[in-house]
Amino acid sequence: MEEFDVIVVGGGITGAGTARDCALRGLKVLLIERDDIATGATGRNHGLLHSGARYAVTDRESAAECISENMILKKVARHCVDDTSGLFITLPEDDLGYQDTFVKACLAAGIKAEVIDPKEAIIMEPSVNPDIIGAVKVPDGGVDPFRLCSANIVDAKLHGAKVALRSEVVGFIMEGDTVKGVKVLDRSTRQVSEYYAQIVVNAAGIWGHHIASLAGVNIGMFPAKGALLIFAHRVNGMVINRCRKPANADILVPGDTVCVIGTTSTRVPYEECDNMVVTPEEVDLLLSEGALLAPCLAHTRILRGYAGVRPLVSADNDPSGRNISRGIVCLDHETRDGIRGFVSITGGKLMTYRLMAEMATDTVCRKLGVDAACETARAPLPGSDGGGLEETAKKIWDFPTMAQKASVGRFGSRAAHLDFEDDKSGVVCECEEVTVAEVDAAVERLDVCDLVDLRRRTRVGMGTCQGELCACRAAGRLAKATGRAAKAREDLKSFMRERWKGMYPIAWGETLREGSYTQWVYSEVLGLNED
Amino acid sequence: MRSDTIIIGGGLSSLVCGIKLQKAGQRCLIVSAGQNALHFSSGAFGLLGKLPDGTAVKEPMRSLSFLPEEHPYSKIGVDKMAGYVSETPAFFESCGVRLHSAPIAGEGGFPANGYRLTPLGSLKPAWLAMEDVTLLQSKDNIPWSKALIVNFFGFLDFNSGFIAEGLSRRGVDCRVETVSIGDVENLRKNPTEMRSVGIARVMGKENNWKEFGSKVRKLSAGEDLVILPEVFGLGDPVIIQWLREMIPAEVMFVGTMPPSVPGIRTQMRLKKAFEVAGGTFLSGDTAVNPTVEDGYVTSIHTTNLGSISLDADNYVLASGHLFGKGLESTPSKVVEPVFGLDTDFPSDRKTWCDEDFFARQAYDGYGVVCDGSFRPFIGGKSVRNLFVIGSEVGGCDSLYEGSGAGVAIMTAMSVAGNILSGK
Repeated sequence: MEEFDVIVVGGGITGAGTARDCALRGLKVLLIERDDIATGATGRNHGLLHSGARYAVTDRESAAECISENMILKKVARHCVDDTSGLFITLPEDDLGYQDTFVKACLAAGIKAEVIDPKEAIIMEPSVNPDIIGAVKVPDGGVDPFRLCSANIVDAKLHGAKVALRSEVVGFIMEGDTVKGVKVLDRSTRQVSEYYAQIVVNAAGIWGHHIASLAGVNIGMFPAKGALLIFAHRVNGMVINRCRKPANADILVPGDTVCVIGTTSTRVPYEECDNMVVTPEEVDLLLSEGALLAPCLAHTRILRGYAGVRPLVSADNDPSGRNISRGIVCLDHETRDGIRGFVSITGGKLMTYRLMAEMATDTVCRKLGVDAACETARAPLPGSDGGGLEETAKKIWDFPTMAQKASVGRFGSRAAHLDFEDDKSGVVCECEEVTVAEVDAAVERLDVCDLVDLRRRTRVGMGTCQGELCACRAAGRLAKATGRAAKAREDLKSFMRERWKGMYPIAWGETLREGSYTQWVYSEVLGLNED
Repeated sequence: MRSDTIIIGGGLSSLVCGIKLQKAGQRCLIVSAGQNALHFSSGAFGLLGKLPDGTAVKEPMRSLSFLPEEHPYSKIGVDKMAGYVSETPAFFESCGVRLHSAPIAGEGGFPANGYRLTPLGSLKPAWLAMEDVTLLQSKDNIPWSKALIVNFFGFLDFNSGFIAEGLSRRGVDCRVETVSIGDVENLRKNPTEMRSVGIARVMGKENNWKEFGSKVRKLSAGEDLVILPEVFGLGDPVIIQWLREMIPAEVMFVGTMPPSVPGIRTQMRLKKAFEVAGGTFLSGDTAVNPTVEDGYVTSIHTTNLGSISLDADNYVLASGHLFGKGLESTPSKVVEPVFGLDTDFPSDRKTWCDEDFFARQAYDGYGVVCDGSFRPFIGGKSVRNLFVIGSEVGGCDSLYEGSGAGVAIMTAMSVAGNILSGK
């Protein structure tokens, strides 16, 4: 039986960040995740590196947290960040007077907000609606949440943390009112094991509600669904926001080869959190609102729709969930509920994950009587210790190929560990330039167990073709690396099902065409659904 | 420009129809936008693998009577279907495409379905296969006990592991090897060149396929079966025969990820046969702006030819389904973009797709509404000298039934027959 100082429940960005912070402070850490990393809200948002401007008027505290974390992440997570800057635009139907209020609130929160001439804004960002009557430039950007989550886990492991994926907490080991550990179901073997620790941190996002209830604690969580659409092109270079009170579908974020519009906000029953589907009504709303930000979205191919659940902590009866603070909630259940050895970290957002992790780790250290300072605001994440993309690539290879540069884009300086020898320079995913080297490395070193996991680590299948050809290539490579062809074949089925799940709500035009081609290849040519 | 018949679309149904008409003395013009389903072929043609209710079909000709009346095969009728099915192998042979069926005949001497080994190691029913492909008689009884699967080093579009897994499930002992050939190694320097057609081009050189053949011969001692990727004989399928002669075991070629080398070879040969017969093939052009008067098409235009009007006595639409762009969809409807023909798609897009990728998709079963002679309608009114063939025809779900090539060939032959008989 292995004992830990701290067990972190949840492999999203909060859990990953907390595990890393704890490990950096010398604690013996176990991270437990029931599925794969970044499967919940972490992987189901805009990938927006908030400047905080969006919250400046309505939630000053969140705004200040955002800008502070924004500046930190641009340094410590540079290989996960796309420093695009952003625009807040005013359309003819909006109140231009709001722009003043907005800029004042931004400046008060420490966010550099600069009013610019709409004509200049159109030159800076040609995709923006040409009818704009106002524009403000803010330090928004993009962040790859999968990469960020993975980098935190890599670093936690480098500092001795253990990571158990596909492991579900099914109960707590209690001694009176004290949490002593957790009972964990291994989802592959179906066996239940016990793990002991002095403190258990609940960082399970919206599912934290359930985890807390297993320890007899109630956290009133507020499941608010947000739906988003990914387009097949990076139509905008800068983040585009509407300069008005936060509403539906008013942020367009560029990311890698695509861009993302979102979100909606609807209250959903807690039981539905595991199966979020985008409805045709949400699609129509996202499209019509999105086209107001960038008119070309009306005729840009949509790659897929997806939805996540915000892990907000309920405060009142606001049915939309928008007026609730995105503020961080760190609960020491000893003082709150009389349960010792149990901490919950929730609320917050992707943008403030590091701060959340710091707060949770501070609480853990205080409870354990450990005196160690937080390093995460200064210590770069693995991969982010080099310079820019070109510079980092040239440090590793004299003449880097396009695919090698793409690897540096994803892995930062850690691309140096990739092996491009022999047949490993072969390209698996042409849309995203993912090589065999990366696929093999992810299988060997990043806890990848199936194709969907692989997608989260390498972007295989995330590009324009949505896995049409690369899924099969990647599955072949997975079969070779693991020696389990039958399992890789089943994984391929799950992967295609998962991709289609995001495509069928938007299945018309080019998406339906692509879908029908993919179905032809996988059913007719490959016979994947046949014996 | 005047023709007897103008065919829109350049795929399997278009070429079969065009060759039939041209050989019967008509002057035909084919307007082809680009690639078609043959480029993504499985290397085999299906006539009917499954009935709409899911029942597996062993002898397609005996199952025709179970098809609904709106099915294209029902519109053609059993007698004519029998004639076309019998005629198909010789027709393709005359175009330089050798097709074979599984070595078993069903009732009435019509071929029974054989089984093709897929790139993922499954067995799919097939009616006729191109030269590369081996058709097995039965799904359960593989006549070999030891197999060697050979791939090119670094070729990701052929997965030996999946084929080996599929065969071992059926009791075949498999071994996997890779072979390096100098010219293929050169291709690897640019990873996007390392695809089926790129390798096939390189392997068309005599020294390369001979080197490959002798390397495989050395590896294959003691094996019953040797499996190779379908990357040979792009220009001339005789290489396939020569490799079979060189290697002292049964040689089976199995498909790669698209594009399909046997499919492209077939397309090139059919196109050549059409042109040799005197037909005109416009590549990379799109039909636009038709004139339809009193239920008759009087002319069309193309994007490349601009104002030059193309006219004919009869017009054939063979431009494919959604993937071929013969049908285009918006959030609320599916349209046939050239003539605006009536389709049977419901307007509620929620009904088009199933949320399970592998479930039967409703959209596959929809298409252009046609009468018994494959004449379409515009706003409910019949167009008398326009015919629809191939996957664009509504009334059947070819992907589900495994009838894609069959529907293409049968409707093409049927419409060619109707045009020639002046019906």
